[in-house]
Amino acid sequence: MIERVPDIGFSSHLPDNIARIHSFMGKSSDFIIREVTIANRHRAALFYLDGMVDMQTVQNSVISALLDRSPAGPITVQIIKESVLDAGEVSEVASIEASLEHVLSGGLLLLLDGFTSGIIISLPGWEDRAISESKTQSVVRGPQNSFTETLRTNTTLVRRRVKDLNVQVFTIKVGRLSKTDVAIMYIRNLADEELIQQLVEKLSNAHQERVLEGEYLEEILLGKKKVTIFPIFYNSDRPDTIAAGIMDGRIAIFIDGTPFVLLVPSLFVDFIQSAEDYYQSYIYSSFIRILRYIGMFICMLAPSIYIALTTYHQDMLPTQLLLSLAAQREGIPFPAFVEAMLMEVTFEILREAGIRMPRTVGQAVSIVGTIVIGQAAVEASIVSAAMVIIVAITGIASFVIPSYAMSIPIRTIRFVFMVLAATFGVYGLTIGLIILIVHLCNLSSFNMPYMSPIAPYNRDEQSDAILRFPFWYSGNRKTKRRQQP
Amino acid sequence: MRRTRRTHSLLSPLCLLICMGIMTMILTGCWNRRELNELAVVLAVGIDSADGQYEVSVQVAEPSQMSRNRGSDRSPVSIFSQKAPTLFEAFRKITTKSARKMYVAHIRLVIFDEQTARNGIKEPLDFLFRDHEVRPDFYMVVTKGTSAKDVVSFITPTEILPSIGLYKTLKVSEKVWAPTSAVKVTEMLKKLTKTGVEPVLTWGKIVGDVRKGKTPENVKQPASFSEFKYFGVSAFRGDRLVGWLNESNSKAYNYITNKVSSTVGNVNCPHSKGDFVVEVSRSKVKIVPSIQRGEPRIQLETTIDANLGEIGCPVDLTNEATFLAMEEAARKSLMKILKDGVREAQSMGSDIFGFGEAFHRKYPRQWSQWKENWNQKFKKIPVEIKIDYKLNKIGKIISPFGNNLSKKE
Repeated sequence: MIERVPDIGFSSHLPDNIARIHSFMGKSSDFIIREVTIANRHRAALFYLDGMVDMQTVQNSVISALLDRSPAGPITVQIIKESVLDAGEVSEVASIEASLEHVLSGGLLLLLDGFTSGIIISLPGWEDRAISESKTQSVVRGPQNSFTETLRTNTTLVRRRVKDLNVQVFTIKVGRLSKTDVAIMYIRNLADEELIQQLVEKLSNAHQERVLEGEYLEEILLGKKKVTIFPIFYNSDRPDTIAAGIMDGRIAIFIDGTPFVLLVPSLFVDFIQSAEDYYQSYIYSSFIRILRYIGMFICMLAPSIYIALTTYHQDMLPTQLLLSLAAQREGIPFPAFVEAMLMEVTFEILREAGIRMPRTVGQAVSIVGTIVIGQAAVEASIVSAAMVIIVAITGIASFVIPSYAMSIPIRTIRFVFMVLAATFGVYGLTIGLIILIVHLCNLSSFNMPYMSPIAPYNRDEQSDAILRFPFWYSGNRKTKRRQQP
Repeated sequence: MRRTRRTHSLLSPLCLLICMGIMTMILTGCWNRRELNELAVVLAVGIDSADGQYEVSVQVAEPSQMSRNRGSDRSPVSIFSQKAPTLFEAFRKITTKSARKMYVAHIRLVIFDEQTARNGIKEPLDFLFRDHEVRPDFYMVVTKGTSAKDVVSFITPTEILPSIGLYKTLKVSEKVWAPTSAVKVTEMLKKLTKTGVEPVLTWGKIVGDVRKGKTPENVKQPASFSEFKYFGVSAFRGDRLVGWLNESNSKAYNYITNKVSSTVGNVNCPHSKGDFVVEVSRSKVKIVPSIQRGEPRIQLETTIDANLGEIGCPVDLTNEATFLAMEEAARKSLMKILKDGVREAQSMGSDIFGFGEAFHRKYPRQWSQWKENWNQKFKKIPVEIKIDYKLNKIGKIISPFGNNLSKKE
């Protein structure tokens, strides 16, 4: 059981306070208590966590200031706060609990003997990853920087792109143990205020122990009712995408400790769009978007269509193709379904290995994988050459989906479709597709129908749904997601 | 409390989904999963009549011979044949000889021998249409002289699969050679069920040594020992064969039914020996029925656009009169072809041109009286032919070579 800090004030006796804080914090080696004497008369103590504060500034603006620049007259908390410390963010606290929370997130606590309130100097400073290129959603043309693990850096990256006074940032702490800072960013008058209230309420009431990534929040926010494999939250590590998102009237959720920022509400079409669609000519972008949809369908259906056609509907193939497929299947010991499963599972294993393995052995795995899948399996007559083509195109098509969050469900339901195709043929595929479409139309992302603007169809919003219309036509925004005036 | 919970769980989506899954399994009838390597793909079917029975011969592709690295010199197809009183029985009996189930969706060609065609093809067609697997897009051919089995087991040059070879030959020659007419099974069936038009089928025969044509030797040298050749169309009355139309008469049939997309015709030169050849690029025949003194009459309004393709006689094409004379000669030659064709069909008593249908459309009341004995009426119907013949282009050179040379001397 985790011991909670009782909500009590400071005593006016400094050694008492030190002893008390000591008992709360335990004997952590990174918890530093630095006792000083100010102007030769006043005992004072500084409390901080080593590594969480910017030591350079602590030395210059706090310790030196206290020791050298303290006035000769009477010293009060007020005087120290206002005329001695030259750090930027200084505030007074009365409760031990509140002050320790600050210390835990990179602050200094200064207690003076004889006073019942302390001073919090916020000087967070820790080693951080530098801003680097986006690793998950790269573009050829367009901004190359991406978010880091630090919340403040991330909100700044967005703010620098939207210099409007209506940009609002709310921060709440979520997680009983992790006490993660979660920031909600939106543009006043554009975003749905009601939805923001809902989000804040749900997040503050969450009894989660830890929040290490956005997914923790997604599951809290969605609750038990919605069971779906499709992503309801758009996530991105690209500041430009998030900036565009809040300008569309959506709400961004930043989580301290992860470079991935969530956007709500999110629609199905968002996941097939890429930031670069807006940085290239609209004709090309529209073409590429159509290509992505085709890629998505290939990824989802190619193996199952192959199975259905070759095991149930041979009459639907042209004669020559049928004969050449039949020729390839000669001597293959497995049914087409087993063959396809074998290859698809192998491919998924290779992909998973490729993501998880240490970079240094990457070469070896990819070479072995290629040889195993491609050459050897065909030569050993375990799978047919046509099946290798199908698996290869499926694999490549899955990378066309710009959002990894969307490629996961597509790749997963592929297996369901394969089972359907193997048991019921094209009939099964049709049933499966109908169920899938019904499910998708049934979903909603924070009161917005997930499939809009396709279903329900809205003509005005088609300008940036499946195709991208030129900016002069669409006024470059997704109007409907803004709050209705 | 427990009771309400149970009813609730019955309506849960998962339960519904399971119910739907079970229903899809029970309610559908298409549970026939077959792997590609369990099928014998039937490409051609030959139907012979013998001793009151049908002899069915099927040509089945050998998939192992279709792959690029085929090891042995086995034949690319196998032939199975079986005698039985009915077609369906024969098909099923074949499985006693073959390791795989006959898969009939990919039939390209159905070949009837003369005897079957004369006895009537309704019965075989019924099976081919009734079976759910058969895709009704194959061609049908009647073979003269040889049995259908011979044609099915015949080895063709160019294509590895003989049936594909025969199929493509028919398809290509239909496009560029007027006497050939490819008949799909759906067209045949349409005509069988209509009154006022009689069906036709393509006919062909094996030319050359039939016995050698069935061995791989046939294609081991550039010139094959025997070939299967399409000659023209055969006329039917109802579902029974009544006669063969020769090349010229078949041409007339294709002209009158507007099936000519392009063809060439040989015409005698006016005023001199030798021939010239016209290439017909567009042809349109309109069947105009009329009634005179209570009797039917037919007028064929023909429009032809043609180009000069080859000239084998010394003519001066710079002279307009010569050119017009040639046009007239071509017109007359076509007139003869059409007349002969119509006469031949009339003598067989088979209205393959659909004159009856034209009357049915224009004079439905009279037609209902003539319907019963239309074949007798058709035999005597006067046919008037009008031809608007246009010769357009003469090609890249003007006069034939010889002319210029003689002038220079």
